[in-house]
Amino acid sequence: MSTTVNAVTCPVCGCLCDDIELTIENGVIAKVKNGCAMCESKFLSYKNEHRNKTPLVRKEGKLVPVSYDEAIHKAAEILANANYPILYGWSSTDCEAQRVGVELAEEVGGVLDNTAVVCHGPSILSVQEVGIPTCTLGQIRHRADLVIYWGCDPWSAHPRHLERYTTFTEGRFEGSEWKEYMNKVKASAGKKKLLSLERREIVKRKPEPIIEKVTVNKPPETLSKAGRKLIVIDVRKTMTAEVADYFIQVQPGKDYELMLAIRALVKDHELDVDQVAGVPVEYLEELVDAMVNCEFGVIFFGMGLTQSAGKFRNVDVAISLIRDLNRRTKFAILPMRGHFNVTGANTVSTWQSGYPYSVDFSLGYPRYNPGETSVVDVLLRKESDAALIVASDPASNFPRKAVEHLVANPLIVIDPHMNATALLGDVVFPAAIVGIEKAGTAYRMDHVPLPLKKVVEPPEGILSDEEILSRILEEVRVIKSQKMQEAA
Amino acid sequence: MITLTPLRQFRFPVMAECINPDVFQGKSVDEIAQLTVWEGNKQKKLCELFKIEQSLAEAPSIVINGNVEEVRRIGSGMKSGEIVINGNAGMHLGEKMAGGKITVNGDAEGWAGSDMKNGLLEIMGNAGPYLASPYRGSSTGMRGGKIIVHGNVGTDAAVFLKGGTIKILGDAGPFMGFRMCDGTIHIEKNCGTRVGACMTGGKIVVSGVLEEVLPTFTIDSVKAKVKIEEGDSATGPFYVFLGDLAENGNGKLYVSKANNPHLSTYEKYL
Ligand code: SF4
Repeated sequence: MSTTVNAVTCPVCGCLCDDIELTIENGVIAKVKNGCAMCESKFLSYKNEHRNKTPLVRKEGKLVPVSYDEAIHKAAEILANANYPILYGWSSTDCEAQRVGVELAEEVGGVLDNTAVVCHGPSILSVQEVGIPTCTLGQIRHRADLVIYWGCDPWSAHPRHLERYTTFTEGRFEGSEWKEYMNKVKASAGKKKLLSLERREIVKRKPEPIIEKVTVNKPPETLSKAGRKLIVIDVRKTMTAEVADYFIQVQPGKDYELMLAIRALVKDHELDVDQVAGVPVEYLEELVDAMVNCEFGVIFFGMGLTQSAGKFRNVDVAISLIRDLNRRTKFAILPMRGHFNVTGANTVSTWQSGYPYSVDFSLGYPRYNPGETSVVDVLLRKESDAALIVASDPASNFPRKAVEHLVANPLIVIDPHMNATALLGDVVFPAAIVGIEKAGTAYRMDHVPLPLKKVVEPPEGILSDEEILSRILEEVRVIKSQKMQEAA
Repeated sequence: MITLTPLRQFRFPVMAECINPDVFQGKSVDEIAQLTVWEGNKQKKLCELFKIEQSLAEAPSIVINGNVEEVRRIGSGMKSGEIVINGNAGMHLGEKMAGGKITVNGDAEGWAGSDMKNGLLEIMGNAGPYLASPYRGSSTGMRGGKIIVHGNVGTDAAVFLKGGTIKILGDAGPFMGFRMCDGTIHIEKNCGTRVGACMTGGKIVVSGVLEEVLPTFTIDSVKAKVKIEEGDSATGPFYVFLGDLAENGNGKLYVSKANNPHLSTYEKYL
C-alpha cells in the first residue's frame, strides 16, 4: 500500500524546508519529492542495515548488547557520581529532548553545551555584545533586493537556500533571478569548454601550467540595476560565487579589516590606504553605494567569518555594519546555521537557563563564560570526569587532545548511528531518528519553530532521545536520593 | 598573615572567591578553615583543599604557596590587603577588585583583573586571554587601578577599557583595547593585529613591532615622547594614529617609528 505525506519538514540543514513530499510504501519511505540531494539521502538511508538496534555497555573492553534498563542504570550511575560531567551535542535532535537535557544537566551539576560552540557560538557572543538587527526568511524572500553571502557557500551547504528564500525565489515584491542565472550558466559553460580544450592542448604540448591569478574585478554595472542582486564575499570562488552578480575574493583572515573599512566608508570617511584585504578602496566605494542604495539588503554569514581569524569580532563588526547601514536604508543580518536544530538548541537552552550554550550548572545555578565553560576548553584543560553525547560525533571533529580526554573518562552516547564517538563509548543507546521516526519541534535558522513529522515507525523497541533522557533523569534522581538517605 | 598550601593538585575547577583579605579579616584559622568553596559540583570546606597556617607577620595578608591554576576568583572584589601567589593563578584573579594588591609569581589564566575598579595587579609571568576584559555580553571594562604584566598577554586584553593603566613588558595578542574608550595601555614589545579596533578614546602605546595598523586609523603626527602616567613616559619617536573611524572614534594609537619602518608609507599623508 502506498501513501503520500505532504508538507514534511526536512531534518538536515538549518533551512528546514517544510515542503517535502514523501511516498510511503509498506511502511517504508520509497520516494522523496522537492528535497535536495542531502534531504533525499537522509530520508532514503534511515533504514540502513548497519544501524545499531540495541543498547550496548562496555564490559571487559568490549561493547556488549544489554537491555535498555541496564544501560539506563549504568548511564545514570556514571552521571550521578561525576564531579564535573559534560553534556554535549543536541543540535540534531528535537527541542523536546533538548529540554530534558537541560533538566538533566542541572540535576547532575554538569556543563551543558551544544555544537554551536564549534560553529556559530562566536556569532552569539557578538550578538550579546552589540545586539542583532534581523528578520525572518519570509521577509527576505518577499522584499530583499540585495543579498550578500559572506564566508558561506549555500549552493553546497544549504542547497535550497537561494531557491526558497533569496535570489532565485519569486517573492511578492521582488522577482526571481533564476532566468538571468540560467543565461549566465550557459555563457560560462561555453567559456569552460574553451578553457578545457585549451588545457587539453597544453597537456599535449606540456608548456607552463596556467596559474590562475587572484584579482578582484571591478563591480559590474548590474550592481546598480533594479531587482535582486547577489554579492558573494569569500576567500575562494565557491559555487555560490559562480552565480553571483559580484564576487569579492578577500585575502584569507582579512574579513575583519574589509568589513571595518566598509563601515568607515558607509560613514563617509576617507581612508589612508589604497586597498584593504586585497580589494581596491574604489571598488569598495562602489560596493558601499550598492549597499546604501538598495531598498532592503541582507547579509548571510557562515563559518568563513565565525571560525577564521578574529572569530566573534568578525561578527561583531558585521552586525555593527548593519547598524550603520540601517541609518541610511534597511538591512538585516542572519547566520547560516548548519545542523537542522542548532538554533533550537540555543533557544531551548536560553529559555531554560538564560544562556544559549556552554552553560555550567556545577555551582547549582547556571553560569556562562565560553572559553571557561565551553566543552572543548573543559576537555583541553582535562577537567571533566564523564560525558554524555547526544546526536553528535565529537570524536571525529574535536581537536585530538580533547578527544583523548573525552574517551579517557566514562562516555555515554545516544545516537541513531554507530558513529566514531559511539564506537569509543562505554554506554551506547540507539535512538529513533527525529523528523522521520519521531515527531518534535525544530527551529529554522531565522528562529521560526517548525513541526517535525513522524512518517514511519522506528525499529521495534527503539526509544527516542527524549524517552531515553527522561528515563536517565528519573534514574539519576533515584540514585541521588538513595545516596542522600545513606548519608543521613 | 595566612599561608595557604594546596593539599593536592586540583583536577576540577575550584571556585574560591573567599580567598580574599577582606573575608579573612578578623577570622581565626578555624573560622577560615570552615569557609566554603566549590570543587567541580561538590561543595567543600577550605581546609579540605588547603593547609592553612597563620603567622604573625602583618603583610602580605594572604600567601598561597604552590600552583593554583584551577582555583578561580582569588581576590574577587577585594578592597584592601595584599595577596601573594607563589605559583600560577587560575581564572578571574582579582575580578571586580576595588583596592589592595595582588602579586603573582607565576602565570595568570584568563580574565585576570576583569571589571577592576582600583588597586594593583602585578603578574610576573604571562597573562592569559581577556586580561582586564569584561564578561560575555558586558560592556563594563576595567575602570581604574593598574595592571603590570612582566611576560606576554593573550588575546582580547583590555576590551571596553574605561580607565586605569595597563603596562605589558612583553608581547600582546590581537584585539588589544577593542572598543576601549579611556585609559592607557603601554606594550613594551610587539603587539598583535587589530589593536585598538573600534576604540573611541584612550591611548595605546606600542614600543615594539606592530605588523599593521587597521585601515580605519588615520595618521595624525609624529611625536618624540608620550606620557604613560605620572612620572612614567615612553620615548619614541612615535607615529600617532587616530581612530577608529568606523566608530567615529578619537582614540590615540602611538606606534614606535624606529621599530616599524613599514609604516613609513603613511608619512605621505602628514
Ligand atoms: S536545503 Fe537543507 S532543509 Fe532544505 S531540503 Fe536541502 S537539506 Fe533539507
